[in-house]
Amino acid sequence: MALDTQVLVNGGPPATASRVNDLAFKIGTVNGTGSASANGLLRSAIFRMGIPVSGKNLFPSNIQGLPTWYEIRANRDGHTARTARFDLIVAMNPATYARDVEEVTTGGWVMHDSSWPLPRDLNRDDVHFLGVPLAKMTVDNFEGSRVRILMKNICYVGALAALLDIDMEIVRGLLKETFAAKAKLLDANFLAIDLGYDYAREHFDCPLPVHLAPMDGNEDSIVIDGNTAAALGCVYAGATVAAWYPITPSTSLVDAFTAFCNRFRKDPETGRNRFAIVQAEDELAAAGMVLGASWAGARSFTSTSGPGLSLMSEFIGLAYYAEIPAVFFDVQRVGPSTGMPTRTQQGDIQFAAYASHGDTKHIVLFPCDPRECFDFAVKVFDLADRFQTPVFVLTDLDIGMNDWAVPKLEWDDSYRPDRGKVLSAEDLEEASGAFRRYLDVDGDGIAARTLPGVHPDGAFLTRGSGHDRYGNYTEDSEPYADVLARIGRKIEGAAPHLPAPEVRLREGATIGLLTVGGCRGAVLEAVDELAEQGVDVDYMRVRAFPFHPDVEEFLMDHDVNFVVEQNRDGQLRKLLITETRVDKDRLASILYYGGYPMSCHHVIDGLAST
Amino acid sequence: MGGGGGRGGEPVAICRLKRVASDLRDDIRPFLPDIPEEKNGKRIACVGAGAASLTVANDLMPLGYEVTIFEKLAAPGGLMWTNIPEFRLPAKVLWEEIEYITDMGVDLRLNSPVDSLAALLEEDYDAVFIGSGAPKGKELNLPGRWDSEQVHIGIDWLESVRFGHVESCGDRVLVIGVGNTAMDCCRTAQRLGASDVKVMARKTKPHFKASPWELEDAIEEQVEILENHSPSKFIVEDGQVKGMVFDLVSWHEGEGGRLKAEVHDSKVIECDEVILAIGQDTAFPWIERDIGIDFNNWDMPIVDKTTFMTSRTGVFMGGDAAWGPENIIWAVEHGHQAAISIHAYCHGESLTDRPAEGMNLVSQKMGLHEWTYSNDYDEAERVKMRHVDLQERFKRLDIEVEEGFDIEQSLTEVERCLNCDAQTHFETDLCIECDACIDICPLDCLTITHNGPEEELTGRLTAPLLNPEEPLFISEDLPQTGRIMVKDEDLCIHCGLCAERCPTAAWDMRKSDLLIPYAGLDAGEVHPGMSIMDLAGAGAR
Amino acid sequence: MTHIAKPRIHHPGLARNRLGLTRRDYEGPMSTLCAGCGHDSITAAIIEAFWELEIAPHQVAKMSGIGCSGKTPTYFLKEAHGFNGVHGRMPAVTTGAHAANHELVCIGVSGDGDSLSIGLGQFAHAMRRNIDMLYIIENNGVYGLTKGQFSASADYGTKAKRGEVNREHPIDPVLLALNLGASFVARSFSGDKAQLVPIIKGGLRHQGFAMVDIISPCVTFNDHRGSTKSYEYTRDHYNELVQADFVPPAQEITASYEAGDVRTVTMHDGSRMRFRKVPEDYDPQDRDQVYAYIRDRQRAGEIATGLLYLEEVPPDGEGTHFHGIQGTVDEPLVNYPFEELCPGAEALEELQRRFR
Repeated sequence: MALDTQVLVNGGPPATASRVNDLAFKIGTVNGTGSASANGLLRSAIFRMGIPVSGKNLFPSNIQGLPTWYEIRANRDGHTARTARFDLIVAMNPATYARDVEEVTTGGWVMHDSSWPLPRDLNRDDVHFLGVPLAKMTVDNFEGSRVRILMKNICYVGALAALLDIDMEIVRGLLKETFAAKAKLLDANFLAIDLGYDYAREHFDCPLPVHLAPMDGNEDSIVIDGNTAAALGCVYAGATVAAWYPITPSTSLVDAFTAFCNRFRKDPETGRNRFAIVQAEDELAAAGMVLGASWAGARSFTSTSGPGLSLMSEFIGLAYYAEIPAVFFDVQRVGPSTGMPTRTQQGDIQFAAYASHGDTKHIVLFPCDPRECFDFAVKVFDLADRFQTPVFVLTDLDIGMNDWAVPKLEWDDSYRPDRGKVLSAEDLEEASGAFRRYLDVDGDGIAARTLPGVHPDGAFLTRGSGHDRYGNYTEDSEPYADVLARIGRKIEGAAPHLPAPEVRLREGATIGLLTVGGCRGAVLEAVDELAEQGVDVDYMRVRAFPFHPDVEEFLMDHDVNFVVEQNRDGQLRKLLITETRVDKDRLASILYYGGYPMSCHHVIDGLAST
Repeated sequence: MGGGGGRGGEPVAICRLKRVASDLRDDIRPFLPDIPEEKNGKRIACVGAGAASLTVANDLMPLGYEVTIFEKLAAPGGLMWTNIPEFRLPAKVLWEEIEYITDMGVDLRLNSPVDSLAALLEEDYDAVFIGSGAPKGKELNLPGRWDSEQVHIGIDWLESVRFGHVESCGDRVLVIGVGNTAMDCCRTAQRLGASDVKVMARKTKPHFKASPWELEDAIEEQVEILENHSPSKFIVEDGQVKGMVFDLVSWHEGEGGRLKAEVHDSKVIECDEVILAIGQDTAFPWIERDIGIDFNNWDMPIVDKTTFMTSRTGVFMGGDAAWGPENIIWAVEHGHQAAISIHAYCHGESLTDRPAEGMNLVSQKMGLHEWTYSNDYDEAERVKMRHVDLQERFKRLDIEVEEGFDIEQSLTEVERCLNCDAQTHFETDLCIECDACIDICPLDCLTITHNGPEEELTGRLTAPLLNPEEPLFISEDLPQTGRIMVKDEDLCIHCGLCAERCPTAAWDMRKSDLLIPYAGLDAGEVHPGMSIMDLAGAGAR
Repeated sequence: MTHIAKPRIHHPGLARNRLGLTRRDYEGPMSTLCAGCGHDSITAAIIEAFWELEIAPHQVAKMSGIGCSGKTPTYFLKEAHGFNGVHGRMPAVTTGAHAANHELVCIGVSGDGDSLSIGLGQFAHAMRRNIDMLYIIENNGVYGLTKGQFSASADYGTKAKRGEVNREHPIDPVLLALNLGASFVARSFSGDKAQLVPIIKGGLRHQGFAMVDIISPCVTFNDHRGSTKSYEYTRDHYNELVQADFVPPAQEITASYEAGDVRTVTMHDGSRMRFRKVPEDYDPQDRDQVYAYIRDRQRAGEIATGLLYLEEVPPDGEGTHFHGIQGTVDEPLVNYPFEELCPGAEALEELQRRFR
């Protein structure tokens, strides 16, 4: 196709007022071109400048050749949720030029590769076009197509550093750290970064009115993605067995677990592994392996996403009914069915709460960011062991795979796992034959369990078929109902022991704004924005299911509660209606389920339209 | 108890289990046979109202006989009444059971000793049954025997206690003899206030005549039993027993296998009273020797062991009277047999052609997993009878010591039964050699293997043969492989699991019932109104 | 009686093993399977094997799926933990249990429906991973609990009880196992304990996946004329191709055989399998030849049985079994104290420098 092209000239869009440390920009590239490291470099540099920052990777379900974007938001107030208002776009992918150009806010900038002309129809009068001959510069300076592709990315980092006033020393420092062992690559990177930087300095007014400046907002923060943090939590919780089946967006959790285990769990003498990680043939098997390992006494987990959870629900029911601790990380993606595997959603809330057939109900934790992923990854094993049941950690693609600046992870060395009621050989010796697997001895709904290989008196047959309180097979009404009722009591009884909701109250507010998980940032930003507009709302973020008693209390205290979540059907709202006493008329939904992380404007717009 | 296999221990306590049934009974009268209003015209006289005579009456009354029992004492029961202390057999129980019989319309004449059999025979009875027991305690004619009044004959002494003529005894009592009467005597003496009771035995424990459980009971009551003490004389001063001299003996097998005593020493044992319980004799001063009843050299009437008839036709004899003391069970059996004979005699039939015992063999399968009997064989020891507390029981003479089994005990004791009446039965043609029976048999008594010479074959059994005396069961060639099914009968506990797990019913459990005839009833037959169906109806009423 | 109890009494001469246990101590409660079910005979063989190997019952993990076979672990080793999971998923649960504690002696009992239909994938992958377990398929060619439908192992042309003829080709677990690299492959018959017990013992001692397919006639739905999985058909077409004895490590081989007639294979723990009466042109350690041979016997209408294939122990001693591949420590993972698993606060601080 012959393009009707022209060299776009920096025309006369509206002047932009100066804005420091409050900006968002977006880089549109093609996946498989190595842009991820360049984008990470940018995000890290901004972080090291002390500015609160987030990086969100919008990538396709594809290996090579399809569009991918990286969004960076830096905000001095810490509002780093996704925003749809981009001050600057780096349009590196001709296939998405049109939509990329369209997304820039009025008065914003489009940086593009000016090695060849941009299509004429992309012209927009209200934005500035910044052409940098990236391809030409890399062709002139580097040999080999792979290197050229990579260096082109570094080149735009250099240009952006100039435009946004990113500290070049920090950028160089990061490159040094990355290529410490590869001097040749380091030189190439230094060259590329300077090419971009110098070009921008020479050709544009640098910095732009919207730019960055060093501050001290990240002193006790780190940048980490949720999957990595969760994996680290599993290591710290003492998990030794992981079984999984690769699925986006959960794969990197087990990858990280593997890496951490290799770092922390090698036997110092033999170099052998104090862990076992099994890549299963499917999620059915992965769940089965988790149950088997937990049953045998190991802390064990799997990591999956919606489609995997669907397959696992057979074993989830077994774990629930046979009372086997099991930990499931569900990094949610867009459903139903295959849906959009690389987009984010909170579509598994209801499913996780009641996964599997028959009367089941599960403990579910909803972390909001990587920091909570770490904390909950430890907590979840204690809960699974304590309540002898499957427990879910529901994160999502945004939390799991994107880079978040969060407070540093903390660890208390006095922590010891709560393994719940597990009888030792000595306990069994003392009980002299009195152990019965499903007998609730102390009235809390939790019966003691035993591990295989420990003591003959501990033996029992774990089964998913009907059993009585003594662990014997039954098809009789009363003994069956007796056990099922107790399990029900046990799960209900867990509620007060689960993380309480996060609540922020404002004087005189009568409206409640509720949310869950990764929507936190967008909702808190909305709360602040509403306050600026003179509307006071109270905020609550649900952190676990079954709901903590405080959740119901909050709902009852407000005339109307808006439930902000990322799915079509208002799944959290439905759960609240089902599981609390609150009248459903007092619960309204604010929903967004398009696959990108929730933004503040979704909340404000949603609120305005109700 | 059937089978060997080391399943030792005592037999099932049938007596105690029967007592459980009895203790839990409701009114049983509806289940008793009807007594014909119209009599058959035959009159029978019984001498003595003990177990044997009562049995004769029990068997004959339902057939229309008129039975008269002559009893010298004021109450029926014979030695069950006079000699068995109430702490063992409460009078209430005894009276009730006797009444079931006497209420059939028996003409019971108390305080009516028969002084002359000849006279009785004059009275034109169609038959006479003599069940007068062995009422004469054996004497011990040793120096000093007759010098004191504190030397008693056991059964007479027990009778005196029963009738209240004796209400106390000395502090130190020696009981001579170690049979059941001796046990009753020593335990009675304790209840009358003796504090030091010794049972003096000439031989060692294996030779004691008392039933093991009666020995146990006496020992439990702290009676001392001294072995190898053979009495040689009484020490009496001024008509007062002071003690006895015993030879201390040991026993050796002499000529002909008889034990012979060797005296080592002698010993004086002090006492205040002596009770002789060394046996009983019959006594027939009232039977004239010229009325056709022959006596043997020991002055015992000659009684036919099959027909129970004496040498005089129409005169029958049973119980202790016939061949000397035995137990009550025997006396009852004698009564049954004598009744059969009397019935035949009165109808002019042969007395020697005894009615045949019957047998039936019936599969015990009632449905899937349902069998007629409980197979849960329990290897437990025999259940111990609960006894009244030692202090408590000595307070009165009539406190029954045995309290009977409770439900738990009964259930345990019942499961000790080896169910020898239920036997395995194998149908070769049905076997598919699935091994189910082999796998399930708790005693490993089954084997499927190739045929071979017996000696070699026994080496190939699932479990070693323990009793080569007991022949193995060996089947015909099995249909699929031509191997054989072998069963070591000696080990079998009749649990029936082979049959239970057999898919083709090649194994079955079949129960053999021994059916016993009674007077006027063929084996297995019951009196009108007493069939199982009738009884169920009666229960419903 | 209206319920069945197995009296506790046993043969007075019943031997005790070195643990002081009799064979009866390895039993479980009474089977609730149909009388005459082949599975019960397999249970008896399992009991015998465990007793003879002197394995403490509580060191065993009894794993099963769903179906008649799934019930059987109840009926042996009452002092062992059991896991009667979901249909066709026993291999996964066993994998997990074994990963957590490789000292557990894992025995999985499955059926033809459980392994060859709903659980074919897991069955295959457990072999691929060479999980250290004895995997028994109680193979009767039918679904019992759902009343007699053909299973995936039903032979072509076999007749159902109601008369219909099977026109689908069977999945043969032995051929499949040989294909997928199983390191111990056997076929036996519930009615032949003399063959079965040594195979089970060998399978329990084998390091890696021991697959034992056992023809186990269903007396209720598949023991009729026209069935190829009946007692009678199996016996008529039985070919005990290989006779194998199990010889524990310490024991000397005393019986003498003609040279060339016997072949002894030593397993990783020093136990030996001694093959007797192997056909001349048959090598139980040559996977390809075994495959071809069994196919050939099948075409001839024979059911070739015995310990058909046994992989040589790899010379490096590391083993190709699950834990060898995983590179796991010798100590079972469940035994590690938390202190040795958690890196601690200092390490976390150090690590987080990378995240800035």
